[in-house]
Amino acid sequence: MKNLRKWSRILHRDIGFFFIGTTLIYAISGIALNHLSDWNPNYSVENKNFTTQINLENNASVKNNILLLLEEVDDKENYKQHYYPNAQNLKIFLKGGSSIMVDVESGAGRAEYLKKRPLFYDVNYLHYNPNKIWMWFSDIFASALILFSITSLFMIKGKKGVIGRGGIYLVLGIIVPILFLVYYL
Amino acid sequence: MKKIVFVLVFALAVISCKTDDKKAGATNKTAETAEIPFLALGEFDAKAGEFVNKEVKVKGIVDHVCKHSGKKVFLVTDKGDVHINGEERFDEALTGNEITFTGIVVEERIDEAYCLKMEEDNIKSHKEGASNKDQYDAKMKMIQKYRDQMKAENTDHISNYSINYISHSAVE
Repeated sequence: MKNLRKWSRILHRDIGFFFIGTTLIYAISGIALNHLSDWNPNYSVENKNFTTQINLENNASVKNNILLLLEEVDDKENYKQHYYPNAQNLKIFLKGGSSIMVDVESGAGRAEYLKKRPLFYDVNYLHYNPNKIWMWFSDIFASALILFSITSLFMIKGKKGVIGRGGIYLVLGIIVPILFLVYYL
Repeated sequence: MKKIVFVLVFALAVISCKTDDKKAGATNKTAETAEIPFLALGEFDAKAGEFVNKEVKVKGIVDHVCKHSGKKVFLVTDKGDVHINGEERFDEALTGNEITFTGIVVEERIDEAYCLKMEEDNIKSHKEGASNKDQYDAKMKMIQKYRDQMKAENTDHISNYSINYISHSAVE
């Protein structure tokens, strides 16, 4: 038992240090992605309203006219594509995910500029398993979390350990998800 | 110390064994292109019924990649649009690019039972805080639209067609 306790502490401590960064990545992105309904966790969005006199009706010269518009409100080098969702509106796609919507009749337009959120964009990217290398790394991380759970049972002895206060916390922590399942499932 | 080095070396060895990247949004699979019919988005809704469970090609501009799952692309042209469903996440950088997608046409039948289920799910998810008031209202409005359409067309169902992703390539 003494040996088990010793090794539980060693593994919990050393592997724990190794995975501090990964834990923060999943914790921060987890909170960010939990609230998708409330915000865009990857991009901050800035809207800019404008009006234009440029003729943007769907004809042969529309591409040139769009570039003229972009010179006014953005940069023509940012042009990617455009299309008409309906007869009245033109949508212009810009580099970097930004876009512009223009009412071709009134000339009223709105540019939506997307800017990557520092840190959040990167941790969210990793959270979504961008490729197999990260998938395997995150599997190892998940396995380490299981290991941390098991080793934590043996790390402390006595009344603060699993047979004392620790055990009460353990049971409470299991009861919370069970209550949730009973109530919502 | 030796043990720590051993754990690190083992972890790196496991990682290095798997290096291929198969993300839907970043991969151009070399699919067989011969004999695959091309459907213009302007006629997609009218013709898709003839191609259910068959492979087709469609071309358009990626309007957006689904913010929530990342596994859905809304492909558009001036004349029509279609949803492309992937098994893996699409790259958000596809937005605004003109792309040719290859995939299987799938039909989703919307009838009264489907509307009731959608209604029930919408109420439940809103109650649990998974959607805000605007999202809740928008979904209810959409369900009512389906019901109105079925009534107007005097039919018991509406067929919605989309495409299950196989591959894509950028239009030059």
